[in-house]
Amino acid sequence: MASSRDDFIIAIRSAFLKKSTKQKFSLLTLVFISMFIILLSSLDFKVIRYLKIGINELVYRSAFVVSIPENFIKNTFFEVKDYTTYFREFKKNKDELNKLKSKNISSEIIQFENKELKELINDYVSTSDKILAKIIVDQDSPFLKSIIINKGSKDNIKIGTNIYDQSYLVGRVIEVNYKTARVLLLSDLNSNVPVSIAPQNIQAIITGSGDKHGQIKYIKSGIENKFNEKSIVYTSGTGAIFKSGIPIGILKFDNNETSGKFYVEFYSDFSQLKYVFAEVIIKTEVDKDTSETSQNENENENENENKNPIEAKLKILEDEIKIIEDTNIKFKEENDNLRTYINSLNSKIYNLDNKIISQKEEISKFNLDTEEMEFLQMNLYYGHKCRRSFFNTKGFSTGTPEYKKCVLNKGRKN
Amino acid sequence: MVSFKTKGTFFRLYSWLPIIVLIVSVLNEFDFNYLELKYFSFNFPFILIFFFTLKDSKHFDYLLVFLAGLINDTVVGLPLGISSLSYMLLCIATSYFRNITIRPNPIKDWFYFFFIISLINSINYSILTLFFSFNLILMDYLVNTFFTFLFYIIFVSIFKYYLKGLND
Repeated sequence: MASSRDDFIIAIRSAFLKKSTKQKFSLLTLVFISMFIILLSSLDFKVIRYLKIGINELVYRSAFVVSIPENFIKNTFFEVKDYTTYFREFKKNKDELNKLKSKNISSEIIQFENKELKELINDYVSTSDKILAKIIVDQDSPFLKSIIINKGSKDNIKIGTNIYDQSYLVGRVIEVNYKTARVLLLSDLNSNVPVSIAPQNIQAIITGSGDKHGQIKYIKSGIENKFNEKSIVYTSGTGAIFKSGIPIGILKFDNNETSGKFYVEFYSDFSQLKYVFAEVIIKTEVDKDTSETSQNENENENENENKNPIEAKLKILEDEIKIIEDTNIKFKEENDNLRTYINSLNSKIYNLDNKIISQKEEISKFNLDTEEMEFLQMNLYYGHKCRRSFFNTKGFSTGTPEYKKCVLNKGRKN
Repeated sequence: MVSFKTKGTFFRLYSWLPIIVLIVSVLNEFDFNYLELKYFSFNFPFILIFFFTLKDSKHFDYLLVFLAGLINDTVVGLPLGISSLSYMLLCIATSYFRNITIRPNPIKDWFYFFFIISLINSINYSILTLFFSFNLILMDYLVNTFFTFLFYIIFVSIFKYYLKGLND
């Protein structure tokens, strides 16, 4: 019994401490180093942070180079798959584009109005600049859903920067290096996004499921009954992590769930991302007219306090006028177009009327000709019966209407 | 099959092949995840490290395995050192197993591998959830462990050809 325990201890000691001639470190040393690194990485020291950024840059670039052959095969596979569905999608997209074009004008006006109102609330203008970023590493790990983009602190990317696929939200930046950044996708279990569900206007939080869809969390029980499959999910902007009003996905009913659970189907397919947009937000204070304030320095403080709200209201009114003017111009243009269209239609109607009259004339002429032909034909057969002569005193003189009537009546005088 | 008459550059490169494959696999995440099969994932580095530290430890530098772990953490986005610790624990387990084994048996290796990866994945899961507050799905870990276990026997048959070429 004692010897078997000794053997076990010897084997364990050998496993931990013994290193062969080619090994530079014993396993125990490396285990301790790993633990030390884990401890250090959890601490937020400046030196460690910079070291980590350096390692990340190097590894991400290497991973991108190494992944080229696999990505090529993967992309070829997806491209072949895409070609089979291109035509169907093209038709669908064409219809959708037409619908969207019509909605575009009104949405532009609303956006403009929205921007102005936000300006007024925040006292600053947030100008956003969307920069295109390429995905350099997308490993689609079964445990963590994240991607690495080729834009970093050099391009003003910060932790929390919103990442888009076209205009749909994809995720946010959680780690920034000099030229690269890691984006946590919405599908990750650790992703939480405050959202609004329209048209019911219900506030909720969407968390990733580790799969292709998101889960709705933290809503009042029983409120699920209000949802329907056409409900749209977009960011509410609560917590100021995500901008408000960014579309995320639509609600779908999970048929497999007996409890009648809803899930969010993201608009964007995260497995197909090649390029994304990073929204760099630059906040600038609203310009206050310094010249005017210098002139009014002598005026009392109350007036100054009241001035800003009045100015703001005036600004809103001015903007409203501008919007109305814009819409008026658009309506005028539309009216002009319609007027020219009506004129062209009227001229067409006139032409068509003329055509109809000439055709009618032709028809009546044709009818007369036919009657004449019939009379002449019958005249050959029955003319002698109706013509007045020495033997036929009851007949009529030729050319009179009675003669014609008689001929058409096949020689009968009455 | 590969055989070398002289132990030149090609032989050296050939002997370094497992470690090169390991580095490439951690950089590239060789796991067919893009197939998007819901319950399918496996850990290729585990299979590679287990086999080569067990059968050919003299050509498999622990320091490079350790570095491969760091690379894996960086690529996947895990806290630095987690994968290195997992790989080192795997190396310790194989080293111990090598010491106590008199007559090697592939089936015994296979089940020992299953036991070890289950243990390591449990440690991994515990560290990530308890110390780093990560939200992880346990089922994904179980699926990963199961498929890694299944794939072991397939990859071993390929690796054996490699070892035969190295020893000849």
